[in-house]
Amino acid sequence: MSFISTQNRRTLIVVFITLLVVCEMIAYVATTPRPREQFFQLYVLGAKRMAADYYPNNDTDIRLGEPVTWYLGVADNMGTVQLVSIRVKIGNQTIKPPDDQQGLESPAPVVTEFIRFLNDNETWETPFVWSISDAVLSGSATRIPVLQINNETYLIQDCSASNGHNFRLIFELWTWQTETNGFEFGWAAGGEHRVAWLQVWFNMTSPRLA
Amino acid sequence: MLQLWHASSRYRYIPCNRDYLNESQLRRIQNELAVVGALVVLALVTVQPLVVMSQTADSLQARFAETIAMVHQAESAGATPSEIGALVALLNKALELNGEALKLTAPDEAQRRAELVAQVDQILMTVENRAADLTALASQRSYANRVLAYVCGVIAAVLGTILYAFTMSFYRKYRIKRTFQMRVTRK
Repeated sequence: MSFISTQNRRTLIVVFITLLVVCEMIAYVATTPRPREQFFQLYVLGAKRMAADYYPNNDTDIRLGEPVTWYLGVADNMGTVQLVSIRVKIGNQTIKPPDDQQGLESPAPVVTEFIRFLNDNETWETPFVWSISDAVLSGSATRIPVLQINNETYLIQDCSASNGHNFRLIFELWTWQTETNGFEFGWAAGGEHRVAWLQVWFNMTSPRLA
Repeated sequence: MLQLWHASSRYRYIPCNRDYLNESQLRRIQNELAVVGALVVLALVTVQPLVVMSQTADSLQARFAETIAMVHQAESAGATPSEIGALVALLNKALELNGEALKLTAPDEAQRRAELVAQVDQILMTVENRAADLTALASQRSYANRVLAYVCGVIAAVLGTILYAFTMSFYRKYRIKRTFQMRVTRK
């Protein structure tokens, strides 16, 4: 190294340290996972797997025993494996929907739920074929006591609507929280509590007489 | 008549007020207590299957929670999505079987239900074992990758410095050569 003068040696040390810092920063960035936005997607599609054709013959009035085909989907973009539950509730016009601001669930009765483990970036879609097995007219209120979903029968308590108008199916996304070891409505991301829910309205104006 | 009793020892009872019981009353109370005891034992024996079923469901939920935590550990350790995907498929299979087991409520389906619960338990155990293996493997792999990346950084810095030194050396030689090739001309 005699051909390198003291000044050149200093310059080389400075160059080496600069290059070392730059290369190590690149190594750090390459090996550290980047933070990303964490969220879920929840959707309901119509019979043709599009955001249309939600009702048979495009008639919102559902008849007794008439099958209605939808597709429920949920996508995990949380960066980790998640255990999710889509809770299906039935309500009428007056019942409260879920509260986005407070993160509160709807008080409507739960009909059924679909539970599934989702890998990161995975989208899970399942058919949701439902029909009204029974509807009873008492006074001016139509009550739906039995609902059939995916060939299974569900008994429903206290779900009626005036003249059979404005029933709705509410879909809420619940996620498993490892801190509490239980399902909670919505999820926590970035210090915020977020929720996802959907509702589809329908009418039932041809019930049987009580 | 309300009697309050304090049991200071096994055989010695001290009544709280001045009404003492005679032997026949004591015998009657003993008989009544024996009947109540027998009824309690009978009730516990009868209720036991229900209690066991409840514990089974609770313990399964706890097992699911433990398994999720272990899968999250494997993910944090750096397991790849395909490795985690295999675990997720098994977990969904366990969920499906658990759902089937929950539908079997009739007494004659108890054996089938127990079989399904055992299968679920087996799958969860498999997932836990694989997740533990994955955690160890992935953490080693991540550590090795990180060390490799930093070592590559050092090597790149050394190579860059050598390149800089040679470049500067050649440049200086070139400048010297050019200097000696200069000609002095009169203007």
